[in-house]
Amino acid sequence: MPLTQKNIKNNNLLLDIHDLNVFFNTPEGISHVVKDVNFNIKKGTCLGVVGESGSGKTQTFFSITGLLANNGYAEGEAFFKNTNLITCSNEERRGFLGKSIGFIFQDPMTSLTPHLKIGDQLAEIAIYHKKINKKKALERAIEVMDIVKLPSNRDIINSYPHELSGGMKQRIMIAISLMCEPDLIIADEPTTALDVTTQAEILNIFNDLKNNLNIGLVLISHNIGVIAETSNEVLVMKDGEILENGETSKVLTKPENKYTQHLLSCIPPWIGN
Amino acid sequence: MIKFITKRILIAIPTLLIIVAFSFFMMRIAPGGPFTNERALPPEIENNIKAAYNLDKPVYEQFYIYIKNLTKGDFGPSFKYKDFSVKELILNGLPVSVTLGLSSIIISLFIGSLLGIIAAINRNTIFDYSVMGVSLLGICVPSFVMAPLLSLFFSLYLGILPTSGWNNGNIMNLILPITALSLPQIAVISRMMRASTIEILNSNFIRTAKSKGLNSSYIIRKHVIRASILPIIEYLAPASAGLMTGSIIIEQIFGLPGIGRYFVVGALQRDYTLVSGVLILYASLLIFLILITDIIRAILDPRVKI
Ligand SMILES: Nc1ncnc2c1ncn2[C@@H]1O[C@H](COP(=O)(O)OP(=O)(O)OP(=O)(O)O)[C@@H](O)[C@H]1O
Ligand SMILES: [Mg+2]
Repeated sequence: MPLTQKNIKNNNLLLDIHDLNVFFNTPEGISHVVKDVNFNIKKGTCLGVVGESGSGKTQTFFSITGLLANNGYAEGEAFFKNTNLITCSNEERRGFLGKSIGFIFQDPMTSLTPHLKIGDQLAEIAIYHKKINKKKALERAIEVMDIVKLPSNRDIINSYPHELSGGMKQRIMIAISLMCEPDLIIADEPTTALDVTTQAEILNIFNDLKNNLNIGLVLISHNIGVIAETSNEVLVMKDGEILENGETSKVLTKPENKYTQHLLSCIPPWIGN
Repeated sequence: MIKFITKRILIAIPTLLIIVAFSFFMMRIAPGGPFTNERALPPEIENNIKAAYNLDKPVYEQFYIYIKNLTKGDFGPSFKYKDFSVKELILNGLPVSVTLGLSSIIISLFIGSLLGIIAAINRNTIFDYSVMGVSLLGICVPSFVMAPLLSLFFSLYLGILPTSGWNNGNIMNLILPITALSLPQIAVISRMMRASTIEILNSNFIRTAKSKGLNSSYIIRKHVIRASILPIIEYLAPASAGLMTGSIIIEQIFGLPGIGRYFVVGALQRDYTLVSGVLILYASLLIFLILITDIIRAILDPRVKI
């Protein structure tokens, strides 16, 4: 492969993961929950991650973002902008978190601080990372609320989380992750807790982010239908290992691995295509 | 807000009435009376005295007279402290008890919460274990055991603090009683604060705050404390009740002329009006504190509507 072509390819890489392992110290000994995984994410694409409960999807991405529980630790390489997020200092990692990497969690109902106004929770991240004043940060908040298709008015800015519906809260979570114009957004089952209509609306927003803002997206989901609609590439995980990794259309139409075939056979026939 | 406060004050009135009735009748059911002596008085004199204090009338009538006077702010004359009204006695003791109680509650809240937060942040470290260990001791050792031990050590052994007396509220005289009163509360509050802070630190919204890349001192200040202090605010009223009962004993041990002492003396000598008066004061204070607690909680937690 000519050098120039390789460079172009590498420039396109957002997150490059090599031999990543995650361990937990438990009373029964060390448990190895993510085993030597390798994958990467390119700009403006969506990587879908599927796998049964407990297969290590969440912990893989918690390890990259330093969100592992106190008894957990990670080994390996996760290069993001020439920094290994696994071995860098907490300070360095915090410089990326919220600023160039956004994280969206499964449970929007409990993921916002109950005693802070929505506006403050949106603004603080920009005030903190971009050192701008609150007025500017709130203007930015109005902008991102428009992107996530929330009515961009003062009402929501001045309300508290308990005054919003689950779907609205998840939009706010996405808006928070967009405040500092990130390069990568990791969404861990962002629609599992939402009803089907809201789920479709949220997935549309993700498609827009990927296509219009050139953001790299990781979409973790149980739901193969969701993955099929949104992702360009897909990872199939089981017991902490990656069983299959490739273009979504290929993996989902001609799965090589038995387990993937099994997963696909579990989808009712009216979903997909 | 104003509607809430008026409603609470209106609810407080029947509550207080029940407390007044309860204390009034309990005292009268107890054997003996204010003028029962070793040596029986001549019946004429006893009857005269009783008539002077309305004790010759039926109990329900006495109660009616008492309530009627209460509405005028008159707590009646003391039966045992001649020439003093209950109001005068209470106003006499109030500065002492308020100084003692208020400083204890502020000190306990401040030190207890601080220790609890630091222990929670550094959980399973030496600091955490020592705070939790010492506080367990603080909970187990009641203040009436703590008080003599403190005064034995600091007054008799080291000789740096006075053993007793009010001395016009001299700070040196206050240190020991306030310490004895606060220690058990500090112990309880620090444990509560530790538990609630740990719970908040493990909550999903703190995970969100971490995923924003905020540093930990910012997260503690902005996202943790306001949520983790809520149980402590709830505990404010029970803590104050604990301090009131504690101060009854502590005032006795340190020879402080506060309300607590009048309460003990009044109860022992069947000084009906004095005991009822002090009880009404304590009860109103508690009702007021619970109201304050609810207001603070509504300010701290937007989910609470008042
Ligand atoms: N703090 C911890 N201590 C010990 N083991 C843990 C801890 N957290 C997670 N695990 C284990 O790590 C494994 C992977 O968990 P993970 O959360 O990544 O699963 P998942 O694929 O995201 O599942 P789900 O679809 O249910 O979210 C599980 O077996 C889980 O029990
Ligand atoms: Mg998960």
